[in-house]
Amino acid sequence: MTARRVAERMIADGLVVAAILGWWLLSLRLPDFLMPSPWQVATTLFGLFVTPSLLADTAASAARVIASVALSTVIGGVLAIVPYRWPVTDAIIRDRITPFLNSFPSVGWAILAMIWFGTTDAAVIFVEVAILTPFCLVNILEGLKSLDQELIEMGASFTRDRARRFMKIVFPMLLPYLMSAIRIAYGVAWKIALVAELFGVSSGLGYLMLKAEIVSDAASVYGTCFAIVLLFLAGEKLVIDPLSRLVAYK
Amino acid sequence: MPSENSLAPTKRSAVASVLGEERRARLGAHLFTLAFLGAWWGYSLTVPPFVLPGPVPVAIRLAQFFTTYNLYKQAFASLEHIVAGMAVSLIVGSALALAAHYLPVLRLAVHGRLSPFLNSFSGIGWTLLSIVWFGVNEFTVVFAISVVLTPFAIINIREGLETLDRELLEMAMSFTRNRWREFGKIVLPGLMPFVFATLRISFGVSWKVALAAELFGGRTGLGYLFNLAQQNFDVRLILVVIFVIIAFVYGTDRLLFAPLQARFGRLEASASP
Repeated sequence: MTARRVAERMIADGLVVAAILGWWLLSLRLPDFLMPSPWQVATTLFGLFVTPSLLADTAASAARVIASVALSTVIGGVLAIVPYRWPVTDAIIRDRITPFLNSFPSVGWAILAMIWFGTTDAAVIFVEVAILTPFCLVNILEGLKSLDQELIEMGASFTRDRARRFMKIVFPMLLPYLMSAIRIAYGVAWKIALVAELFGVSSGLGYLMLKAEIVSDAASVYGTCFAIVLLFLAGEKLVIDPLSRLVAYK
Repeated sequence: MPSENSLAPTKRSAVASVLGEERRARLGAHLFTLAFLGAWWGYSLTVPPFVLPGPVPVAIRLAQFFTTYNLYKQAFASLEHIVAGMAVSLIVGSALALAAHYLPVLRLAVHGRLSPFLNSFSGIGWTLLSIVWFGVNEFTVVFAISVVLTPFAIINIREGLETLDRELLEMAMSFTRNRWREFGKIVLPGLMPFVFATLRISFGVSWKVALAAELFGGRTGLGYLFNLAQQNFDVRLILVVIFVIIAFVYGTDRLLFAPLQARFGRLEASASP
């Protein structure tokens, strides 16, 4: 059993080493603008977190991601609560707003935002919120559907104050779903941050990537891709995981 | 004294039957659609048409869209890219998931390294990288779509392989020692619902990726139309393309994938007892 575990590990890590080695060998034969070496990419990646001007772009992207995740959780939450409180609106949320937002192409939002809001931070955040909201909405709708009805009835026998019942019973039960909405939105947010930033704004990782693409600076394109993977992982391990543990223990 | 909660349903059911309530909800949804169109129309009167054209000009452009050969051609090109990308990712993803399933030493490599890596790289990143590698052409678009979709296939097929009925597999073992036969008769049918789930998820995701990939790295497809429309500030065309995509994605999901999945799901359910 342990021997197999060791073999499994060796193959998995061997794959990573082999991929980097293969990349390095390939980069020796191909020109830099096609395939930069792993070291060049590592240097640009390092620069993104150290060089002040580049760090500003990284921070701008991160700030936009955090703002949009927060905003879309709130908007998705409000949209999900409406049919819970007024069941008549269920079809509006479920059959109109959700599929509309869900199938709206993200590039479409990006172009429209550029035309509507110009090249501003607000445009980028608008695009990210528009894309993330359906993910939060669907998750919180699911959560509200699977709440323990008996507990809610018990609450009703204690108080008629709806707001109080909501804060004491519904909201705590909803927290895990809220958390998974945030987790999913966060994962998607980093991926679409690039799309949102490719049109027009002059800061952020998406802007850096497009600039690098135009001058065929492949090392920077690679570097930005890896920076996003790293930032995503860091946020998930350092913020999202502890938060969801906190929620789960309650 | 009855609580507010227990009183409400009886009161409501006295006024309107369950069916009536459903009808009211549907009416509400239609009214919402009308209100949305009305708000759009009202707002479009206050801003210049290059910012937001009204519903009527967009509808006219949409009608033109369906009577122009070139636009059909672009829509068809996008569909081609998507079908190719979905096929490639399903084959590659299934192969990887099967390899990890039947050769457990590969499990960590596939599920612990490859799949998270593919999953965390953004679609635009893959698009720009493949433009650098392959240039602006159809291959770039199909490549980007395939790479983005592959982790979905790996995750779903893995899920399917893990929920296969152990008892059925044991029964198969007692009938044949031919693993290929066991695979064809037991494993593959058991996987079908998961294959359809993969296709359904991939289809929804692939349109978005395809548009982005075509926008930056294609010379054909609806994303390329986006690119042209954006350069000309033709918001009408942008809205028309968005509308066509929403209608197509939603329509296909409801009219093709939902019934197909329901059917294969039921086949599976009736086969298990």
